[in-house]
Amino acid sequence: MNLWQEYKRPTTITEAVQALASASGSAMPIAGGTDLMLDLKQGRHNPIHTLVDLTFIPEISALEVRGDSLFIGAAVPVNRIARDPLTGTHAQALVEACNLIAGPQVRNTATLGGNVAHALPAADGTIALRSLNAEAEVASASGTRRMAFTSLFAGPGKSAIDKTKEIIIGFYLPLFTPNTASCFKRIMRPQGVALPILNCAVWLERDGDAVKDIHIAVGPGGSTPFRATDAEAFLRGKSLTEENFNQTLDALLAQAKFRDSARRASADYRRHIVGGLFKDVLYTAWGRAG
Amino acid sequence: MSNHSVGSSPTRIDARGKVTGETQYPGDLHKQNMLHMKILMAERPHARVLNIHIEKALASPGVAAVYTAKDIPVNEYGLQIPDQPVLCGPGASKPYTDIVRFVGDQIAVVVAETEAQAAAAIKLIEVDYEDLPPLLDPVLAMQPEAAILHPDRGESNVCVHYKIRKGDVDAGFAQADVIVEGEYQTPVQEHAYLQPEAGLAYLDEEGRIVVESAGQWTHADRETVAHSLGIPNEQVRIIYPAIGGAFGGREDLSVQVVLALAAMNLKRPVKIVWSRRESIIGHGKRHAVLLRAKWGATKDGKLVAVQNELIGDGGAYMYTTNKVLGNATITSSGPYNVPNVKTDVYGVYTNNVPGAAFRGFGAPQALFMAESQMNKLAEKLGMDPVEFRLKNALKTGDTMSVGTPTPNPVSITECIEAARDSFKWKKMNWKKKPVAKKSAIVRGRGFAAGFKNVGFSFGYKENCWAKVEIHGNGKIERVVLHHAGAEVGQGFQTVMSQMAAEVVGVPLEMVEMHTSDTATQGNPGSASASRLTFMAGNSVKGAAEAALAKWNSEERPAIAEFSYFAPPTTPMNHDTGYSMPNFQYAYVAQAAEVEVDTETGHVHVKRIVSADDVGKAINPDLVAAQIEGAVVQAHGYAVLEEYKTKDGRVLTDQFSTYLLPTILDIPEKVESVIVEVPDPNGPWGARGMGELPYLPVAPAIAAAIYDATGVWIDEFPFTPERVLKALGKIK
Repeated sequence: MNLWQEYKRPTTITEAVQALASASGSAMPIAGGTDLMLDLKQGRHNPIHTLVDLTFIPEISALEVRGDSLFIGAAVPVNRIARDPLTGTHAQALVEACNLIAGPQVRNTATLGGNVAHALPAADGTIALRSLNAEAEVASASGTRRMAFTSLFAGPGKSAIDKTKEIIIGFYLPLFTPNTASCFKRIMRPQGVALPILNCAVWLERDGDAVKDIHIAVGPGGSTPFRATDAEAFLRGKSLTEENFNQTLDALLAQAKFRDSARRASADYRRHIVGGLFKDVLYTAWGRAG
Repeated sequence: MSNHSVGSSPTRIDARGKVTGETQYPGDLHKQNMLHMKILMAERPHARVLNIHIEKALASPGVAAVYTAKDIPVNEYGLQIPDQPVLCGPGASKPYTDIVRFVGDQIAVVVAETEAQAAAAIKLIEVDYEDLPPLLDPVLAMQPEAAILHPDRGESNVCVHYKIRKGDVDAGFAQADVIVEGEYQTPVQEHAYLQPEAGLAYLDEEGRIVVESAGQWTHADRETVAHSLGIPNEQVRIIYPAIGGAFGGREDLSVQVVLALAAMNLKRPVKIVWSRRESIIGHGKRHAVLLRAKWGATKDGKLVAVQNELIGDGGAYMYTTNKVLGNATITSSGPYNVPNVKTDVYGVYTNNVPGAAFRGFGAPQALFMAESQMNKLAEKLGMDPVEFRLKNALKTGDTMSVGTPTPNPVSITECIEAARDSFKWKKMNWKKKPVAKKSAIVRGRGFAAGFKNVGFSFGYKENCWAKVEIHGNGKIERVVLHHAGAEVGQGFQTVMSQMAAEVVGVPLEMVEMHTSDTATQGNPGSASASRLTFMAGNSVKGAAEAALAKWNSEERPAIAEFSYFAPPTTPMNHDTGYSMPNFQYAYVAQAAEVEVDTETGHVHVKRIVSADDVGKAINPDLVAAQIEGAVVQAHGYAVLEEYKTKDGRVLTDQFSTYLLPTILDIPEKVESVIVEVPDPNGPWGARGMGELPYLPVAPAIAAAIYDATGVWIDEFPFTPERVLKALGKIK
């Protein structure tokens, strides 16, 4: 039994959406395939009749400045994101995350769109995008639309995108402005290739000694990529004193929902280590913005 | 031509093929008209197989045959005792083989024209099971009221019990000024060889059933396959192509019997390659062992009494549990002279994946306890742990725990001193260090030693065969070496060729090696127990010397076979352990330096110095490679690898969840210190060493963690969560 029957290579988004709609069996887009192929081979995903390869569509492989946004196509390999000067300037947290995804071979082919479409609450690229206030662009038979990043996620491993009909085209990120910076770090074992035990991304805007604005993302801090909005609200406009940090962390801990994963880490362990990781990420971003 | 192969490090003779990809491993083998096999595993820890419905699978496209238990001529196998069904199911030729005893028990085999057809058909087999309550805890399985997993093998699940009674421990403890008691738990470890179980079986031109697969002992594989098929040994031929790692895990069979059966019945070549998941759930692992110890010493630092109790989880079948725990028994009092020893070691059947041979063969578990006891005693005495070990170090001629003298020169003192000096060990001050305030990172160092038998033990008539041919007329043109010993990656074939070249006095390039084939070669014994350099080395040396003597008396070609027999050993007395169990031991000592992140619980091993007595380094580069490889593998065991199960099912059944160390995780520095105290019985004085550097790693790291944090952690792997729990930071 073949894992798929037909393999389509459209060159436009319209063709891709049509290929999904007109497939004579189940259909799904594929880009890097580093998750999907493994799931198919190991039987965690039913065989798919038609695979629609997105990597021959120039629009989905673009990485460029568009107006006041940085556009990153969903099929851009994460290794390119990690090295491109544009992401280096405008999305440092994303660069750091993309450098830590799996190993070099996987990074050469895995894509940011796949990272997001897999909908894991602690995917490195996803957590970085969450802190950078990304927006997504999605295509379906009725045309393309911009969506808030959060509306892409329905639950752990559950995308809100209908993968049999819809395609993530890419992501729009705000361009760099003075006195802002971001940072991403994670705790994992082993160092090389495993999923993170915990990761954290912070974007902030600094106004002298005060935090003018801040976004804090932590994975896995909930069933979908988590933003510590209560902690953000507390710290916004305040100076970064020890006392304020502690209260920010308290707010984060009160809002986050850590869970036990049988193979990786307990909720209790995650609650314990999040403070150290968050502090490290926050102060690194703070230093960069100053 | 002057030539000294022995003691040099030429390029491995198998390097070119392995680097270029020309070398064929079992999964690379193909033959015309070849069929493909898939095996259905039980995927449940304990059940009775009521019915197996194979009709749909048989009718599935391309299927040539489906086999179940009733098709196996003699439905049992096992390296030590035949307690494992080839296939589990009703109607078999042996009683009690309808019972599934672990998740990887094999139920049915499908053979089809293509791999995809075999995979499709295997899913169509329906099995009716009566699930039985799984016995997963060896301590509970030992209880008299526990259900008996092997009713035909006695009235208890305790399948092994060894005792050592030396001196009088009560009198010993009465002399002791300090006593340390401890309870330890060591984990299961996955062998994780790169090449999963695979093979190709076919009939050769003489009608023999050939099985080409990866193993560790050609002739034992042949005997096992022949037994299960109910045919003479001579009708089975075992050939080893290149082997992608073994580490003990290939001593017991996996796919060989059913492959041979299918080739015999269908008279066509049949191939199978297991997936990583099948390899992880379907074949033995390192034994988990619970260890309890009470050790006493006088205030001037002399050990006076050792009392140990070990309970090893044998899992579903014996495999080599009896031998593994025999070695654990002997090593459990460490490489020390102890006047009073009382040891009880139990092996217990459970419904877990079988406990198997794995580098160190029981010694890593026993030495984790023994060396931790030594470190704790040193602390209690306020004595440097190196000094404490030197005070008690075994000396040549001392009486060992089994009541007989050491069989060969003892070099533990030399190893301890070499590790101490290379590490630049400073005397340890056990006083509490001030707690670091600024950083969460704390550093510590630890010391441990070890020893292990080389070669088969306990009365086995240890032997090894070789044949050498010298060809040429006036001068020697070509030397052909025949040896069936398994090249499992350790460099065996290179080292044997070096020895043949050395004896005959020719360059290494002139030696041509014919490898692992039972049709043309005598019994090599196993690539295990660190034995091949010693045993095969002596056989090659003997054969080469005999061939050279024939050459010198003008025989052309000059051909000689030689079987080397090691000095005899004896089994342990049932009540006292009295025995001469081994003919050679080798010794090792290590110092480790670690960093512990007290915030995240991560343990980073910065440096390990390993001083190993190899007697004589036949190939120093390969010795260093064994030291580095063993330390890295043992570091994974100590710090990272965690074989997790739930209700007898394996949770970590892929490398994405069973985390092996990557190059970024291994110790930053491994320093190999080669000690050479010759053994007069060894070829050129060599001792076996492949397992040696594995032994002290876990207890040395445990001691370093204690030095860094002030907390003993008596169970490993030292995962971040376990470390933080021990530090009281999480529950």
